[in-house]
Amino acid sequence: MDLEVKMKWAQTASPEELQAELEKITKFKDESWVNLNSLSAQKVYVDDKIKGLTKILPTLRMINDEADNLVGTIKNISASSDKISAEIKTLDTARSRIEECQKRVSDLIDLELCAQGVQKAINDEDYETGAGHIHRFLSIDQNLLTKTAADVEKASGIQKAVLTLKDAASQLQAIVQHRFDEAIRNVDLGTIERFFKIFPLLGMHDEGIRCFCQYLSTKIEEAAVKNMSIALNTSISDKRQPVVFADTLTLLFEGLARMIDTHQPLIETYYGPGRLLSAVSILQNECDKQCNRIMLEFNKNRQLNRKISLINEVNTGGSFSKLDRLDPKDLDILIGEMTVMHMRAELYIRYIRRKVTADLEISTNDDDEKRIKLEELEKVIKNSHLTQSKHELLGNYLRLEQYFMEESIGKAVNMDTFDTSSDQQTSSLVDDTFFIIRKCIRRAISTGSLDGCCAIINTGCRVLESDYCAVLKNKLKQGYPSGYLDLTQAYNVLQTSLQQGRLQPSDAEQARTTFLVALNNGDVSTEYVEALCDSVIQEIDQVMPNMKTNDRGKLESCLSGLSSVTTNLKDVIDYGMQQLRSSAVKPRVNPWVDAFLNVNHQFTEDELSAYEAGVPFVQTLMFNLDSLLSTLKAYLTPTNYDTLVGLVTSEITSRLEKVILKTTYNRLGGLILDKEVRMLAGYLTTSTSWSMRDKFARLTQIATILNLEKVSEIADYWGSHEGALTWRLTPSELRTIMGLRMDFKVEDIRRLKL
Amino acid sequence: MEDYKFLFKVVLVGNAGVGKTCLVRRFTQGLFPPGQGATIGVDFMIKTVEVDNERVKLQIWDTAGQERFRSITQSYYRSAHALILVYDISCQPTFDCLPDWLREIEEYASSKVLRILVGNKIDREDREIPRHVGEDFAQQHNMYFLETSAKEAENVEKLFMQIAQDLMEQARSKDLLRYDSNTTRIEGKTSSISDSNCCSKLA
Ligand SMILES: Nc1nc2c(ncn2[C@@H]2O[C@H](COP(=O)(O)OP(=O)(O)OP(=O)(O)O)[C@@H](O)[C@H]2O)c(=O)[nH]1
Ligand SMILES: [Mg+2]
Repeated sequence: MDLEVKMKWAQTASPEELQAELEKITKFKDESWVNLNSLSAQKVYVDDKIKGLTKILPTLRMINDEADNLVGTIKNISASSDKISAEIKTLDTARSRIEECQKRVSDLIDLELCAQGVQKAINDEDYETGAGHIHRFLSIDQNLLTKTAADVEKASGIQKAVLTLKDAASQLQAIVQHRFDEAIRNVDLGTIERFFKIFPLLGMHDEGIRCFCQYLSTKIEEAAVKNMSIALNTSISDKRQPVVFADTLTLLFEGLARMIDTHQPLIETYYGPGRLLSAVSILQNECDKQCNRIMLEFNKNRQLNRKISLINEVNTGGSFSKLDRLDPKDLDILIGEMTVMHMRAELYIRYIRRKVTADLEISTNDDDEKRIKLEELEKVIKNSHLTQSKHELLGNYLRLEQYFMEESIGKAVNMDTFDTSSDQQTSSLVDDTFFIIRKCIRRAISTGSLDGCCAIINTGCRVLESDYCAVLKNKLKQGYPSGYLDLTQAYNVLQTSLQQGRLQPSDAEQARTTFLVALNNGDVSTEYVEALCDSVIQEIDQVMPNMKTNDRGKLESCLSGLSSVTTNLKDVIDYGMQQLRSSAVKPRVNPWVDAFLNVNHQFTEDELSAYEAGVPFVQTLMFNLDSLLSTLKAYLTPTNYDTLVGLVTSEITSRLEKVILKTTYNRLGGLILDKEVRMLAGYLTTSTSWSMRDKFARLTQIATILNLEKVSEIADYWGSHEGALTWRLTPSELRTIMGLRMDFKVEDIRRLKL
Repeated sequence: MEDYKFLFKVVLVGNAGVGKTCLVRRFTQGLFPPGQGATIGVDFMIKTVEVDNERVKLQIWDTAGQERFRSITQSYYRSAHALILVYDISCQPTFDCLPDWLREIEEYASSKVLRILVGNKIDREDREIPRHVGEDFAQQHNMYFLETSAKEAENVEKLFMQIAQDLMEQARSKDLLRYDSNTTRIEGKTSSISDSNCCSKLA
């Protein structure tokens, strides 16, 4: 509100309104005073600041001027440094041109010198100096040289020098080649080494390696021929005669390896690294040649082809005369020699691979180049006669080894004996068979070939699974004879008659022994199979460390085939146990159990105390079982014995169940039955290391039912509450069993809710 | 543990160079290997496939055709569930050798083995064995027959899947049989004990 408006308003306003307005204005006035005071206080401070700034002002002006100056100076410096750097660049170019020039000049000077010197050196037969000149000449950039020739006035001089040197180079190359060949012919070792070093100076690396390795090849041949004639002249009685070809082959490989070891440093020094592959490839030709010779002589002298064809005839059931049949024992040594030969070849190939790979490793960092060279190496190895001979050797070895295994086991079967006087429970067949298989697999491992090992493992698996199991099963097929003699007696008779050296055991006795021994053989064989698999994998790991995963898979698959032979063996044992059950267990045990029917299970109090004192039924049964089991225990392996006890238990429980259901009971009879079942279960459980409780589950429950105080008590055991049993009986079976208690009312039983 | 219901061994045989390795590589790795060298001894490869929602592990043994490896390769016949006999439809000699191969199979393999005859390389223009000739041969010798090309991936998948399917059905029916014989055994009829069969090694 401005003043005029206020005046107007004042005229019309009431005194109260005016009063209020006055108070408002007074309040405003008071506030304004306070503000004004604080402002005038600040003024002093601001004045002070202004005074200070006025003093600094001239200094700031000075600083500004100086900064301007500085900018100018910097601009100047920048300009001149640009100039300098341009000049330095020019200088650099100039300097490198000078250097290039110097090099060209020195090349030219050297060229002159070389051209002048080379001919003289050749004439003086100073081939090292001559080759040195050529080497220098070859190190000059030939393109640059032609360009220099074009630039320079004295061009014709340069061209002439180049021509001279080129001429001299080919002259020298021819001379070196010629002299080297000559030296080889004269077996002049010094000259050979002299020229070997000159080749690389003339840029003839490949020729040098080739010539030198050809020379080395002649040395190898010489030694090989000598070794072969020694081998062929070894007398029959000589200790080494049986392995003479393995020895010869070993000498060949050792000679080669020694040669490579001694000459590799020489090659590396004068030719640089990475040349071993070409050297080895050339030497491999000679190695192949000598290897073939040895294999040829080996095959001829050891009559390998005849033996193999004899074996093939046996295998195909061809018309061979018994006389010609090879005795596996006679193959033993030959097989041994072959494994050594194969291992040597394998080791030599591994040696070559290792050497060449190491040489390539230091020669280049280019992975592609390395890969190509390594592939080349593998090709050399793969296509070599050595590799092929090795494969053939392995193939023949496997034929012999497979025959050896089959025939030896066949022999072991024929010579199978059981030593009744020892406490052994198995016959000689088991130990013999597994000894043979282990021996064959071990030998296969010593060839160093995984495929060889796998093949022999497969063969072992086949022989065990078919031939061996068939032999065991055949023995069991004869059955367990059940004559009038109790088997307990059978053993007693057998033992006494043998001990007294009187009788030959009767046919029946012998048949019993054969049967039980076959069962034991089967059981022990399962253990042996498992042990064999474990030891094989360990031995292979030692001979062939760092196997590739794929190879390991191969091996494991073959071994799992071998270990699954246990399934076949278990089937055989099972078969035998069933035989035993039907011919020995059943006929004996059933009458014992049936005696239960003779006991009246409706006892009076008096009868009870008399019966309870002896529990004659169970006591007799246990006594009979005891004599049956305890004699057999001595003639069976623990596992077989346990199986037998299981068998007997099943037989007893199922038979007993039948007769229990044919009997009637009163309260006391139920009490006795419960006791009888408990005693029997306890006895059989302590007879073996396995628990037989499970086999007694139904019987125990039947006894529990028959032992109830009254019908309604079943509720304590039936249902889903905590005390309830896991029933093996159906509700209807349960009712039937309750019905056997004469004192239970039929209606009560029917009324039960189950 | 690996998760599969069945494990079958499949062995490939046939002359050198008919393309066994190529067939296996085509199936297991889905490629046609360039510059494939001859197989040395036996190669071993695994592929798990699915048949009727069951995982089936095929263990494939690729044998060398060259004569000198015969004593190695023969040792694998016996445990084979299926044998694939391969020839090259553009190479008469590989077909002419089939009777020899069958003789080997008779001698070394289980009589129950599933046998399949395969004419490979049908992508080639220079066929020498007409399809019906191979087919007749297979029929005469009670074998399955299939023509394939490892190069063009023709029928390769089908070949192995068919084998897996067949073996699985076989194993299932044998399993039932085995179960039956077990139950009779419990009854104590010793006469009905069956010979152990190869199927116990499966799964
Ligand atoms: N055109 C054509 N060529 C094939 C086919 N399968 C294989 N080959 C060629 O046949 C040659 C031999 O193939 P491999 O698979 O190595 O023969 P293999 O049967 O394994 O021979 P071995 O291992 O020696 O027993 C190779 O050059 C392959 O490229 C095919 O389906 N078509
Ligand atoms: Mg192959």
